[in-house]
This record gives sequence, C-alpha cells and structure tokens, in this order.
Amino acid sequence: MEKKDLQVELGTKECFEEALPPVLKLVSSQTVAGFDCVGYANGKNDQSQTATNYTSQEETLVHEPGTEVADTRGQDIVINLPELSSPIQMANHSRPFSLSFSLPSSPSGLHIGQTKTVIYTDKDKANAANGVSSQPPEQGKYHSQPMPVIEGPRRVPRSDSVRDKRFDPFKTWSGRLERQLSNLRGKPQEVEEEEDLEANSSHGAAQTDAVPAVERYFDALEGPELDTLRATEVSVLPEDEKWPFLLRFPVNAFGICLGVSGQAILWKTLATSPSMTFLRVSPTANLVLWFISLALMGLISLIYSLKVIFYFEAVRREYYHPVRVNFFFAPWITCLFLAIGVPPSVAVNLPAPLWYVLMAPIFCLELKIYGQWMSGGQRRLSKVANPSNHLSIVGNFVGALLGASMGLKEGPIFFFAVGLAHYIVLFVTLYQRLPTNLTLPKELHPVFFLFVAAPSVASMSWAKIQGDFDYGARIAYYIALFLYMSLAVRINFFRGFRFSLAWWAYTFPMTGAAVATIRYSEEVANVFTHALSIGLSAFSTFIVTALLVTTIIHAFVLGNLFPNDISIAITQKRPKFSKMLAHLRSSSSDMKDLDSSAPRVSQEY
Amino acid sequence: MPSLRPFFPLHQIKLHSQQKYMEDNNKPHQIHLQILSAAAADAAHADAAHAGSIPDKTAAKKAVSRLDVLTRFHAGYFRISLALCGQALLWKTLSEPTTDARALRPVVRAVPSFAFALLWSLSFLTLATLCVLYAFRCALRFRCVRAELAHHVGMNYLFAPWISWLLLLQSAPRSFPRPSDGCYHFLWLAFSLPIIALDVKIYGQWFTQGKKFLSMVANPASQITVIANLVGARAAAQMGWRETAVCMFAVGMAHYLVLFVTLYQRFLGSNSLPAMLRPVFFLFFAAPSMASLAWDAISSTFDTSCKMFFFLSLFLFASVVSRPALFKRSMRRFSVAWWAYSFPLTALALAATEYAQEVKGEVANALMLVLSILSVVVTLALMVFTAIRTNDLLPQDDPFACFPTVRRQP
Repeated sequence: MEKKDLQVELGTKECFEEALPPVLKLVSSQTVAGFDCVGYANGKNDQSQTATNYTSQEETLVHEPGTEVADTRGQDIVINLPELSSPIQMANHSRPFSLSFSLPSSPSGLHIGQTKTVIYTDKDKANAANGVSSQPPEQGKYHSQPMPVIEGPRRVPRSDSVRDKRFDPFKTWSGRLERQLSNLRGKPQEVEEEEDLEANSSHGAAQTDAVPAVERYFDALEGPELDTLRATEVSVLPEDEKWPFLLRFPVNAFGICLGVSGQAILWKTLATSPSMTFLRVSPTANLVLWFISLALMGLISLIYSLKVIFYFEAVRREYYHPVRVNFFFAPWITCLFLAIGVPPSVAVNLPAPLWYVLMAPIFCLELKIYGQWMSGGQRRLSKVANPSNHLSIVGNFVGALLGASMGLKEGPIFFFAVGLAHYIVLFVTLYQRLPTNLTLPKELHPVFFLFVAAPSVASMSWAKIQGDFDYGARIAYYIALFLYMSLAVRINFFRGFRFSLAWWAYTFPMTGAAVATIRYSEEVANVFTHALSIGLSAFSTFIVTALLVTTIIHAFVLGNLFPNDISIAITQKRPKFSKMLAHLRSSSSDMKDLDSSAPRVSQEY
Repeated sequence: MPSLRPFFPLHQIKLHSQQKYMEDNNKPHQIHLQILSAAAADAAHADAAHAGSIPDKTAAKKAVSRLDVLTRFHAGYFRISLALCGQALLWKTLSEPTTDARALRPVVRAVPSFAFALLWSLSFLTLATLCVLYAFRCALRFRCVRAELAHHVGMNYLFAPWISWLLLLQSAPRSFPRPSDGCYHFLWLAFSLPIIALDVKIYGQWFTQGKKFLSMVANPASQITVIANLVGARAAAQMGWRETAVCMFAVGMAHYLVLFVTLYQRFLGSNSLPAMLRPVFFLFFAAPSMASLAWDAISSTFDTSCKMFFFLSLFLFASVVSRPALFKRSMRRFSVAWWAYSFPLTALALAATEYAQEVKGEVANALMLVLSILSVVVTLALMVFTAIRTNDLLPQDDPFACFPTVRRQP
C-alpha cells in the first residue's frame, strides 16, 4: 500500500527530525531495515511490524483485511533509546513525538494517538504524514505529548527545571501566574518559549477558555459520580502519568470533613442527650473528634485554596461538572456542622452574626444553582438531576437547625422554606427517573444514601424551630427512616464500586439519621427507640471507621487516594475518531451514539 | 391599512392546533408554536377587500380596521387590569389603620385621599372596557376565543378578568358594600364560579387529555390558574366563608405543588414560552405571595406557614431579579407583556405588608417599604410607557393575536 510506504518514509523523516522528550524514550513504530531510530527486540520486518502494533482485542478489528496479527510479539513493552546524535530543534512546524508500545494498547492510549492526530489535522499543524498516519490500522503512532493545541512546537528541554507546560490550561491564567511567581522568585526564564506561548496562546485560549458544555460532561463521562471516562473519550491530559497533586485534588475531598464533623455532632448528642445518659458517653469523644475535624477542615481548605489560586481553570471545570458542583456546598456545610457540634467546653453560645456569615455563601450559591434549574437552559433540572443535588438542599436545613439553636427566628424559617420547596422538586424529579435524566446510576451506589440526609435534618430543624418534636418533624423523620430502611435492605447492591473520596460525604446522612433518632427518642422514650438510636449510631461509627481504614489503605499502601481527576480533563468536542472506532468495536454492544447511550457503571477501572 | 401591510412570519394559533400538537408529540422536548406564514391569508384578505365595489371600499376598510382590533386583542391584555386592581388593593391595604408603619404613615398621609379613589375608578374603568371588548370578541370572533382556550399560554389568561374583578371587589372603597353584605356575597359568587368552571376544565385537562399533559403544556403562565384559586380563597375567607376558602385554597395548593415541580424540572427547556413573554417569569414569586396572603386570611394570623410562603416568594424574587439576562430580549420593545411585571410585585408587597404587621421590626418595615415603592414605581412607569407608546400596545405581530382565516369575509 502506498499509504504505508509513505508513512514509513515519513516516519523515518520524523524520527530524524524529532527531538527527544526528556522522560520518555522514542520508539518508532516503523521499522525500516537498518534505520537507527527504530528498534524492536525481535527485529521483524516492517510489514508485519506496522501491522502488529495493535495487538489487543479491539484493534484486531480495525486491521486491514489480510494483515496478520502476531499476538505473541505484542506482549512485551519494548522501549529503545534511539541513537540520535543530538537533540535537534524543530524547524517551524509542530510535530508530536512518536511513541509506540508493542503492548496491547490501552483504550486511552489508543485514543490519544488517534485524537492527537485528528487535532493536528484540524489545526492545520499536521502535514500529510500525520494525516495519513491517522489511519488507525496502519500506524501505531502514539504521541506522547498530549497538548498540541496549547504548546505548538516541541522544544528541546534545556534542563530538567523547565516547567511542564502540559498542565498550563488548567492553571490560573493559563500558567501566567506561575510564570509570574517564578519570575518573582528569580528563576531564569526561557525566553523563546515565551514567544511560542504568545503565538499559541490564542489557540490555547480558544481551547480552554470555554468550559465544556454540560452535554459534554454527560457524553464523555459515566458512572454514578460522573467520574469515569467513557471508552470512546480521551482526556486532554496524559492519563498514564501522575498529574500535579493540586490538579488531582478534587473538591470531593471536603466530604471527609463532612463525615468527620458529622461524627463529632453524633458523639456530642450521645453525650448530652437526656435519653442517652444511660450510656454514660464521655464528652471527650466529641472534643477529640471536633478538633480533628477542625484540623482536617483547615488542611483541606488550605490545599483547595492553593488549587484555586494556582489551578483556577481546573476549579472552574469542576464547578461546571454536574455532580461536582454540589460539592462546592460541602465546605460551608462543614462549617455549619462544626458550629453545631462545638463542644460545650469550647463555646456554649455562638454569636448571631456568625450565622449570617456562614449562610451568606450558601445563599449565593443557591441563588445561582436553583436559578439555573428554573430558567430552563442547559442545566435544567430534568437534565442534571442526580442524588448529589441533595447536598445543595441539605445546606438549607442545616442552616435552619443552627440558626434555631442559636435563637434566631426568621432566618431559620427562611432557609427552611426555601429548602423545603426545592427539596420537594428534587425529590419528585429523582423519584421520577425521567428519561431525559442521564446521570442517575442504574445500580445503587453509596450516593443514594444522600436521600436520607434531607428529611432527617429537616425533622431536626423543624423540631428546633417549633420548639418541640411535633407532627411535622415526626412526618419528616418517618420519611427519613423509611428511606434508610429501604436502602439498608438492599445492601447487596452496594457492591463492586470503586472507592472514591466522595464516599465520605455519603456517611453524614447516616450520622444525621442517628442524631434524629436520638432526638426522636427524647420525645418517644421506649426500648425500641433507644435500641434504634444505639444501633444507628453504632452503624454510622462503624461505617466511618471502615472508611477511615480504606482511606488509609488507599493513601499509603495503594498510593491511589488521589487518582488523576479525569472528569475535569474532558475535551471540548468529541474526538472525531471515536465514532469510527465505536462502530468498529463490536465488543461493547451498547456503543451507540453517545447521546443515546445509557451511562454504564464501571465495575472496575 | 392593516389588510395591505405585509404580515411578518408570526406565531399564529392555528385553529386546529390539536392535530399539529399530536404530530409534534414524538419529540416532547421540541414544542413549538404553529408558525404559519400569514402572507397567504393576507393576500386572500386583500383580494377579498378589493373584490368589493369601489365606493364601498373606504367604508369597508374602516369597518375592517375597527373589527381587526378585536382580532388582535386577546386575554393577555387583562394583565393591565390585573396590575391596576392589584395596585388598588395595595394602596387600600397600606392606608389601613392596622398597618403599623411609622415610616410609611407620613408617605401615606402625603398622598391625598382622592388619589386612591382615582386609582380605583381608573382600574374599574379599565377593567370594564377590557371586559366589554372581550365580550365583543367573544361575540364576533368566537373562533379566536376558542383558539385561545386551546393555546397552552393563552388559556391561563382567561382567569385574569375574574381575578381582577375579585381584587377590585376586595379593594372597594368604604362606600361599597361590606364583605358581610349579601350583595358582596353575590358578587363573589358571580366572579368565582367562572374560576371554578375554568379550573375544572383546565386542571382536568392536565391529567386526562392526551394532547395537553401537564409536562407538555406547563409554562410559567400556568401559575395564573393557581393565583385565581388563591385570590378566591382569600376573598371567601374575608367574607367569613371559611370552608369554601379552605376548599379553594386546597385546590390551588395541590395544583401549585404539581406545577411548581414541573416548572422547575423544565422538561421542555425554555421552549415552552416565547422570549417575548419572559416577563411572565415574575409569576414565580406571585403565586407563593398570594398563598401566603390567602392562608393569612384563612387562619387569621400570619403564622409560620404564611411566613414560609412569603420567604419562598422572596427567594424566588431574588432569584429572578438576579438574572436580568432572561429578560433582555423581551425588553427590546414595549408590548403588553411588560404589564406582567406589575402584579407579582404588588402581590409581594402585599405579603410583605402583612408580614410587617405580624413581625413588627425594622427589617420587616424596611422590606415592606422597599417592595411597595418598587411596585408603585413599576406600575407608574408602565402607565407612562403605555401612554407614550399606545401603538405598540396593539402590535401587528403579537404572538397571540388571532388572524381571520381565509374563509371569513370581512
């Protein structure tokens, strides 16, 4: 095939002209006899070489007819260092590095290769070789530098201290802040890179100033938390590398604070509630937990504010994510929890202005998000409703609870009314499982426990507002209890999900239900209610402990507590070859048009 | 000469809109009004006009142009009467001795007492004129009225005259019969029975009729139906008919619950309402305000439920007002839709007044003052706009005007 030959030839040319990335070695997929920069351990001839780059199941299908696939060879990764004399600078066009693994390629790796060439073609930076080489079966060019639209020319790195510019689009002002800061710190500047940056900043700006539309999040991601990239999608950042820590730090981390401060409230209630005095729980537990949660909150807020300063674009993308946006309420709810659970030895009466200060951010966030629901645009409720939306509702009830316990009158009723109205809307919408709703997981996932949060906190806050646990509070409490029971008996379905930090946020509903039960047992005191309160408290403590152990294991043993945050790195537009590949890949039968494909929960990833 | 001016492509209510609705029902998220280019109708109309004998042409054209007012007039014009009658009620409530407003009293005293009588008379005259016009329209253009009843936005405005009459009744000056008089009862019945009849028809359609499921027809203007029930409930409670009041309140609230959820879900997105009618979004906070007022009248105190409704409407007010981009397109040209701004503000001010009566505090009084002034200013501005741009009030391309079909002869 003349295409192959052309490609081989150009591959040769490319190999000569390309410069080396500092950390990745170059292996060209084209083997030409005697060609220095190509090496495979087995040294097969070029025809089979080209054909056999795809050895995984999926790529078998995209081969041209008549091409052999040698499975055996593809099992080893072979990385050779080409013998190039010196790093050569690229002339004036951008060319990606070619990197070819002979392993069965991961789907993402495959798509990086395809997508990058597509983008090159689109942006007119590619020459014919790239255009030709973008035929999937023919070549196995993987481009290891994944941000063509941002950094055009690949510069030879002068030294190891050169900044990795791949993550610039996610940094504040596309990396200019960081350059300013390193300027201030006196680091040497690479001047020529500045020029390229200016030249390409327009491309970069065009690509990343606009956050992906909400449909892109639904199209590209799947899973109950919309955090798993679909197989046909590709991320704009390298998936095989560990991203900077700040970039990997999601806003879900505030869920830890929610869980722990909820526990502090539970132990405070256990220690101070008149119906639980027979347990003789010491107030020390509350004290210790409160200080731990305070410290955690401080730490996580500090880290996240660093992320806001340095990676503002990433924060913006998190804000536009239909599930993550609800976690932006989590810091403020945690502050409210800390105020509710403050140990009596630290403070008894909190000043009223504190309540206004704590509720102001929640009010502003609410105005924005409920308004989006109402105005019916792209983020209307029938499209984006998912159980995490409960986080945006619970804040109202928690604020009402705190305000009422501080003695305020009108403010708590205000937030209770707003929360109740929108909770009814959300509850009905989620129960309806509208066909236009794409994010609701088909299987149960711990996120469903958030259903229990709002009624239990609402019952407590209504009791505080009214002064006693009247019928309204009881009705809300029974609803919460019923939802809890109907989820608890389905415990079998909560299996097989990948652990994520957000699970911490799903523990506070159980804690809330336990506290509501304790409050209820103050009113209706009998053996059953006492037993129920003890049982629910024990269960919630057990869950939090188990989660703590899991977190520690993931953090220190497995080292993947903060995996690459794929959900913020989706592309603006769907990668063009994904459709072709989707049609060709018959392995997944439900790989239809992305609009109509149902979200699949990935059992393992 | 309206018959010779080319019509723009317009949203036109086709008389057989139901059939078209069924065809479009396959894609529930793509609702659109039937757009018919009226050029064909216009051409036929012009031909028909020209077909008349030449000496009669001028007279015929004059008669046609007068009667054309009737075709362009639709129930949405009752927004004007809603606004004015709401204002009358607000002024009456503010000037009541129960309104404890140390700040407000000097303002109210500054306004001479005949101003209120003037406002009430103006409202009465406006409402009477509009009713007469609409009666003529029913008589002479009944097909248009039926089309209006079939339209998912227009049908709600058929409640508007009765709401206005009820508001006028409640805000009647002292010389008028008191709420305990039989005459008052009779008037209440006369105004509320049509509301109940329309309720049965329209609410029943929501869940029984195939073409008019709520998820298809829900739009912010549907809250007028709820407001009608609540106004009737409030008037009944003030008359002393508690059970009737509670009944109408319950009906209104049950459907408000359903409607609120549906509207928030926005199944259809922004397609349910043309951009020109965005001012109707203000109804989002009119309904809870009226609910607060109605429950206040039923339970005789502004208790916690009333406060919750009031706070909800305050929140929705803040939410709507903080999105000026929603209204940009509709603010380009004056139209009768602008009058939709006034009544919700008035309702909110009324609820704030009741709230301030109950919770006597600085913040509550300030809230009442601000909202009342806002409502008065907006209504005055609308009156000024109407006086200046009367022509725009009956535009040629009003989305809900009904044009005569080809078959009719002028």
